[in-house]
Amino acid sequence: MSDPLLGVDKLEVVYQRVITAVQGITLSAQRGQIVGILGTNGAGKTTLLRAISGFHGTDDACVTEGTIRFKGRQIENREPHRIAHLGIALVPEREKVFPNLTVAENLLVPAARGLPAVQRKRREAQILQYFPRLEELHDRTAGLLSGGERQMLGIAAALVSRPDLLLVDELSLGLAPIVVEDLMARLVQIRRELGITILLVEQSAAVALDVADYSYVLENGRIVLDGDKARLTNHPDIQEFYLGQSSGKRRSYRDVKQYRRSRRWYG
Amino acid sequence: MLASIYALIACGYVLVYRVSRVLNLAHGELMMLGAYMLMLTATQFSGYWPVAIAAAAGLSLLTGVLVYLFLMRKMTGEMVLAAVLTTVALGILLRGVMVLVWSAQQQYPAQALHVTNSSIVLPGGARISFFSMLLVLTTALIYGALLAFLRFGRWGIRMRAAGQSPLLAAQRGINLHAVYALAWGLSTLTGALAGILIALDSGLDQTMATIGLKAFPAALVGGLDSLAGALVGSLVVAAAEVLLIHYVDPLLSEVVPFLVLIAMLVVRPWGLFGTREELDRV
Amino acid sequence: MSRRPRASGYFRTSYSQDLKLVETRTERWSLTILLIALLAFPFLASPFQLDLANQVFLACIGAIALMLLTGYAGQISLGHAGLLAAGAFTAGILSKEMNAPFWVTLPAATIVGALLGVVFGLPSLRLRGLYLAVSTLALHFLVVYLGGEYETKRGFSTGILIDPPKLGGWTVSGGRIWYFILGLFAAATLLLCLNLLRSGTGRAWAAIRANETVAEALGIGVSAHKLLAFVISSAVTALAGALFAHYRGFVSVEAFSLFLTIQYVAMIIVGGMGSLLGAILGAVFVTLFPYGIEAALGALPGAQRHAGLLFAVNYAAFGVVMILFLVLEPLGLVGIWKRVQTYFLLWPFKHRPMAGSRR
Repeated sequence: MSDPLLGVDKLEVVYQRVITAVQGITLSAQRGQIVGILGTNGAGKTTLLRAISGFHGTDDACVTEGTIRFKGRQIENREPHRIAHLGIALVPEREKVFPNLTVAENLLVPAARGLPAVQRKRREAQILQYFPRLEELHDRTAGLLSGGERQMLGIAAALVSRPDLLLVDELSLGLAPIVVEDLMARLVQIRRELGITILLVEQSAAVALDVADYSYVLENGRIVLDGDKARLTNHPDIQEFYLGQSSGKRRSYRDVKQYRRSRRWYG
Repeated sequence: MLASIYALIACGYVLVYRVSRVLNLAHGELMMLGAYMLMLTATQFSGYWPVAIAAAAGLSLLTGVLVYLFLMRKMTGEMVLAAVLTTVALGILLRGVMVLVWSAQQQYPAQALHVTNSSIVLPGGARISFFSMLLVLTTALIYGALLAFLRFGRWGIRMRAAGQSPLLAAQRGINLHAVYALAWGLSTLTGALAGILIALDSGLDQTMATIGLKAFPAALVGGLDSLAGALVGSLVVAAAEVLLIHYVDPLLSEVVPFLVLIAMLVVRPWGLFGTREELDRV
Repeated sequence: MSRRPRASGYFRTSYSQDLKLVETRTERWSLTILLIALLAFPFLASPFQLDLANQVFLACIGAIALMLLTGYAGQISLGHAGLLAAGAFTAGILSKEMNAPFWVTLPAATIVGALLGVVFGLPSLRLRGLYLAVSTLALHFLVVYLGGEYETKRGFSTGILIDPPKLGGWTVSGGRIWYFILGLFAAATLLLCLNLLRSGTGRAWAAIRANETVAEALGIGVSAHKLLAFVISSAVTALAGALFAHYRGFVSVEAFSLFLTIQYVAMIIVGGMGSLLGAILGAVFVTLFPYGIEAALGALPGAQRHAGLLFAVNYAAFGVVMILFLVLEPLGLVGIWKRVQTYFLLWPFKHRPMAGSRR
């Protein structure tokens, strides 16, 4: 097994010097994989992504323990734009696009990472092939786009700089299921044709488990479960708490309490 | 003419605010510093006034960048208000230092440069001094250049992006510190040009910073994040000031820009051309 | 305003205990010693030092008012000097034009302050943060302009002279009497604000400062409370202005510059936002600062030559100190004090244990 593209080892992130958001996270992503990160609200998924892509001054957060290795180099606690230059692109949860710039300008913003101008244009055209709708919306102000279009633009802009690792935060948030399906299909196609590794953070487990090669489940800042698609979809706890499928048996209160007790074992 | 003074100064406020969301209340003092720098370069280059001006302007650009790198960068994690108060403190510091270094007397850079401020007759019979005309021309030039740069230039677009969403901009590989430093440098440059030209026109003394403060309502009236707005706002404020001084009361000169400001805040707080979201950024 | 738990395991067991301002025996002793020192001071100090103390008291009143508005209610105001001017001018105008005695001018100034507070506060209903600060700044200029207008129109271009206040046949003058009067006012302001902050109004302000939308959703009348904060703060500030006018016996518009506002803002920042102790510490610091600089300059060789530059050095030093506090210790002197306290309380540990930390 070759060296993973991204390796996170016993990561701990602390906000404002007092709030531990994630603790003891160890995960890895191989080249060309789609890795899913599942969890409920507040589990620490976004923090994990932000730790990989770099914290800002305004976040008041820092990695206090553990390492993040990308392509063999340690990248924790470095400046976000440096990490972007190394080849990691993040599509954030909330601010996906620059609202007062047009679609075309949005695509101009990302740093070229050493691509001469001609090649950059070709690259843009290549990306736009995956998102033909964006071509039609070339001169529209990004703030006026619909949710799905905005997400497309966010991903496209992230891809323009030829990243090796794409981090997508909550793709499905606020989008209709059919739009989400469509976007996921495009992501899989992009992964296949461009060979990009994708780290997908999702609250909607069904969506993520569908496309991910390997997934990790986060809870309260720790990884409680990980495995490939088959293992996770068949796991009874995942089925009950993330996929909403109960086993059909009438569960008594004691059964549920039992589960809670066993969850404590996970951390 | 007053409008072009305000406009040249106002674009400095807008530049810094639009890109880094900080209101630079030391702009007036930085502008004054630029003019004092002219006194420095005047002794070096007396006789070659364009060179002296260029040198002073260059020094001011450097000052702006240094101010960001050494002071404002430390404030990136804090509340915006703390950053603004830091600029206020910087302004006070600069005022003290300038008096200490150059004394509070009025200076005449034009004399130091052996340059005369001749009068030029305009069509229509009005007379305008040479440096006033230069000021108007410079304002037009700078605005044209800045508007084009921000609209079409690649780094201009990046600067606008950084102002809209610093998080996303950094994620896309934009070095925020470099962008902010550039904004501060440009802002100080334009302010210094204004200060220099005013000093050459009518002398230099401690009251110049007040003009800087009066230009601030012009920026706000037009919209604190809009260059075009700053231009329009300056016209509005200058017109109001001239009219009210003429017809009502000469003492009003200090207050009129702020009266216009109050009126604008009541009616349309985000200015004529500003974007509405700005209000909630505290 | 929640009361900080005591480090030594001192627990409150009754409501009346909760309400007390001074609780433990240490606090009682410290307060008594402080009061004795304050009372003895005027009999032991030189007139110069008395004047300093009086200035500090005046500054305290203004600083507490500003702390109330900005530190607690979260409404940023850069118009403080304008309000002080309003109070001072009301006192000046009334005593000059109508020979009003001070027990009329002071309440009148307070009322004028309250009314102006409504005016200054109206923008806060629509604006926040930076824009609110700017609007108060604009209003400050307006007030100062009006004062200047009055001065020139009535021929007082060098300022208005006020006679010392008279009570019956007895004239109030001399540093010592003013010390007690001003000290009384300062103490009264402090107590008033302390109690105000512990009441429902104070809690409402804290809620508004933390998150306006949530406060509104909880049923707190945000607009009413904002205006109330402005009104109370402005009234107290105007009162301070009037007291200042009577103390100095002289009112002139030049004294109420933007720099004065900045000085008061510096007081609450240097002192530490969000605590009345901070306001007092800040007031002491900023008021005594210029004199400290002056003394320091005087100690340097060749002092006489530089005497004229004192003003500029003052400015420069003030700017430096303010920047230092803003960059290094935004929580001000109170922050530093708390850090020192925490260090000694926790020693030999360095940090408090976090809740739910690693097992």
